[in-house]
Amino acid sequence: MLSIDKYAYSNRFVGWSPNMKGLLWLLGMVVAFQPFQPLKGVAIIFVAAATMYATHMSFKKYMIWFYAILPFLLLSIIGIIFTMGNTKAGIYYPVPLFGHYFGISIAMLPKGLRLGLQVLTAVVCTYWFALTTPFQQIIKLLKAVHLPKLMIEETMLMYRFIFIFIDAFEQIYRAQKLRLGYRNFRLAMRSSAILAKMLFEQVFVNYEQMVHALDAKLYDGEFK
Amino acid sequence: MIELQHIDFEYEEKKPILKDISLQLGANGANVIGFIGPNGTGKSTLFLNLVGMLKPTGGKILVDGQPIKYNKKGLNKLRQKIGIVFQNSDQQIFYSIVKDDVAFALHNLDIPEDEITKRVDRVLEELDISHLKEKPIQYLSGGQKKRVAIAGILVLQSEWLLLDEPTAGLDPDGKKRMVDLIKHLIANGQKIILSSHDMDFMYDVCDYFYILKQGQIVKSGEKEAVFLDEQLLLDSKLDQPWLVKLHQELHLPLYPNKEALFADRGLAQQLMLAQLDTNSEVG
Repeated sequence: MLSIDKYAYSNRFVGWSPNMKGLLWLLGMVVAFQPFQPLKGVAIIFVAAATMYATHMSFKKYMIWFYAILPFLLLSIIGIIFTMGNTKAGIYYPVPLFGHYFGISIAMLPKGLRLGLQVLTAVVCTYWFALTTPFQQIIKLLKAVHLPKLMIEETMLMYRFIFIFIDAFEQIYRAQKLRLGYRNFRLAMRSSAILAKMLFEQVFVNYEQMVHALDAKLYDGEFK
Repeated sequence: MIELQHIDFEYEEKKPILKDISLQLGANGANVIGFIGPNGTGKSTLFLNLVGMLKPTGGKILVDGQPIKYNKKGLNKLRQKIGIVFQNSDQQIFYSIVKDDVAFALHNLDIPEDEITKRVDRVLEELDISHLKEKPIQYLSGGQKKRVAIAGILVLQSEWLLLDEPTAGLDPDGKKRMVDLIKHLIANGQKIILSSHDMDFMYDVCDYFYILKQGQIVKSGEKEAVFLDEQLLLDSKLDQPWLVKLHQELHLPLYPNKEALFADRGLAQQLMLAQLDTNSEVG
């Protein structure tokens, strides 16, 4: 199972009501999107500390959770703050390039940083919610806010499939690697293609087995 | 009683998986019925037919004299009468906490919350897994997951319980517990249908047997009738249980299980005397 689940079930806030945690998350989102910047910094430090305290996670381990999103965040900010112009005006540290000037836009820099702070606040708060709220509670919350049943069901099934999918992926990948399937670029390309094909097939087979298991438990299209 | 009349089944045309299977389950007073057959012989397919997840391509299945109705209501009724536990526990467990998963089927039946709690507690108690009640599934061993999967179906209190390969992948301790569990359920009046090719396990727990070979029933009957024919078992890619081998090769009595063998004081005494004889000859 995923480690996100492990934390969600064994953290210090697991007993809190899901509605309460949902409200706190919403509060975090409000903080992330309100205009007063220092509050966001405070929120990041406070919520990150609360997350590490709740999940008994070290700072190093906590940082690993950001590996997945940091590249996206950095790329977006870089895309926003760097610019190219005909004159040196409006650019910090202009570098002449093909008759133009390249550098950090004076106008966009604060905007980019503000956006970065906003996203980081939102992500830290969402991690806090995801790492302290078991999936069962998330479903309760979704029901409490009266989201459509179809959407809740879909969320539930997607969550179920993540495990099956990741597990199948790892097994196939390991088997291929053991037989030197990733020895060079050409083979790696070929092996990944086979992996994709096999995953697709296995998901179908697994899906069928899951439907049978759901049928045996009298599932009628709604998680109650 | 479940009656199969000339059941055929094929996934693809002209590639039959089950061929003309006719039998009556629960007719002769047998409460634990075993389907034995090698891999790929149609045991699981037969089970899926029994619970209406697959529809026979020929013949019909009668439950208590009534043919299965393949509409939603009919199937719902059928699955409360015949519960099925599949081989792969991971794929049958939908919730992450044991008690939530065991309660799943009862929630689907809209049973009141306090009744659900009662039934879940009772089943967990019965399977000796009450201590796992609040545990996340990921911390459980294979054998424990198997029990949770069985608990999730047992709460339905169905008349029949189908267990597909219940010992697959279990360690010796897990297997022993499974035997104890099945015997415990039988003692409580649960009717069970098992499939497996674990000969010793099946010999130990079942009281009536069907041997499947390439989609057909090649032999059925009680222990003596089925297991003494070594050639038939070998032809079906199976083997004799070790207790039967002892009986045939060493001419010991045919014991129903190993407890009976080890409890046979007469045999122990004979063996001890034989040992003394050999020792005095050597001396």
